[in-house]
Amino acid sequence: MCNVHNITLSQFQVAEADRIDSEEEHTALSEVSMALVCGSASVTFPSSSFPRHSHRNTSSSSSSSLVGLQFPFHKLVSLSLSPSSSSNTNARTLRIHSQQQDSSILPPEQDPRFLCVEPEPRFKGPDIWNKTWYPKAADHVNTEKTWYVVDATDKVLGRLASTIAIHIRGKNLETYTPSVDMGAFVIVVNAEKVAVSGKKRTQKLYRRHSGRPGGMKVETFAQLQNRIPERIIEHAVRGMLPKGRLGRRLFTHLKVYEGPDHPHAAQKPIELPIQDKRIYLQR
Amino acid sequence: MTRIKRGYIARKRRTKIRLFTSSFRGAHSRLTRTISQQKIKALVSANRDRDRKKRGFRGLWIHRINAIIGKNKKKQYNRYSNLLYNMYKGQWLLNHKIVAQMGILKGNCLLMIANEIIT
Repeated sequence: MCNVHNITLSQFQVAEADRIDSEEEHTALSEVSMALVCGSASVTFPSSSFPRHSHRNTSSSSSSSLVGLQFPFHKLVSLSLSPSSSSNTNARTLRIHSQQQDSSILPPEQDPRFLCVEPEPRFKGPDIWNKTWYPKAADHVNTEKTWYVVDATDKVLGRLASTIAIHIRGKNLETYTPSVDMGAFVIVVNAEKVAVSGKKRTQKLYRRHSGRPGGMKVETFAQLQNRIPERIIEHAVRGMLPKGRLGRRLFTHLKVYEGPDHPHAAQKPIELPIQDKRIYLQR
Repeated sequence: MTRIKRGYIARKRRTKIRLFTSSFRGAHSRLTRTISQQKIKALVSANRDRDRKKRGFRGLWIHRINAIIGKNKKKQYNRYSNLLYNMYKGQWLLNHKIVAQMGILKGNCLLMIANEIIT
């Protein structure tokens, strides 16, 4: 990922980015100059629209590539370290001349402008940019999914269920696909301590019907919590997951337990990240 | 008038329709009348969904962009809306699809761009 690292480096100088987690924060001078020179070729990418990137690969004329090269250059040079700026200028001038000769001769694998580009299969393989990414089987293996654990003590029922459902479905991931199970597993412990606001404890009704006439069974939140406390959270989360074959499978990724223990220590679950501030019961 | 049998004209027409419907489930690929109906429904759906496909993918891309921006940029409180607004202000001409693909394939690049245009 030389391409990305080089841009990271230049951006690090430009934007005083504490925010970017760049691996090379402390680099030698030679690497900086190498990065600036080598990165200048690929830094056309953020400053122009994307099709330019692909145009460049399909035997573009050297003049268009030069135009692209000069555009971000002043940004880089103005902010480079002072001792290396002069050597960079010389190196850059030399670089451009050599590229003018090279681009017409060398194939893409040896062209110095492309040396930093990751050897994706995009030159020869399937088109990964124009076809929207769809996960392969290896991308959603159950054994490699994250496991989260949540303590339900004094958390508002609906908000907790909503967060759980989002993580189970995978809607917080950039690889979210509605037709594929990309989500994580969630363990809920202390299910009997989940809270509701207002008078729901005595007024919220859970209904079920046996199918026969007169077969409606009703019980309140408090009664169900005494009887089968896990069912409360399961009912809430199931209502928030999609209904269908996939939804039923997603529901099996929810594990609810009554006490503080769960048998999934081997999966090494991590704390579920909660963004909702109102999930904690306001007393 | 002389008698003219229809012969196999109707059958010829229906065989073509049957070929189209050959992979449908149950009676929809076996019974002549339902075959004709199902072919019409299938073509109608296909026509309508060609436009829906565009909408659907755009929504998926937006969702994916929002997910990766929200996942990593909490310190700056970035959302998809912020990112798009700043992109328009900065005159970045990337379309949603490519931004979403970048988010998956090269997440670092997208975050760098987001950093650059926010500041």
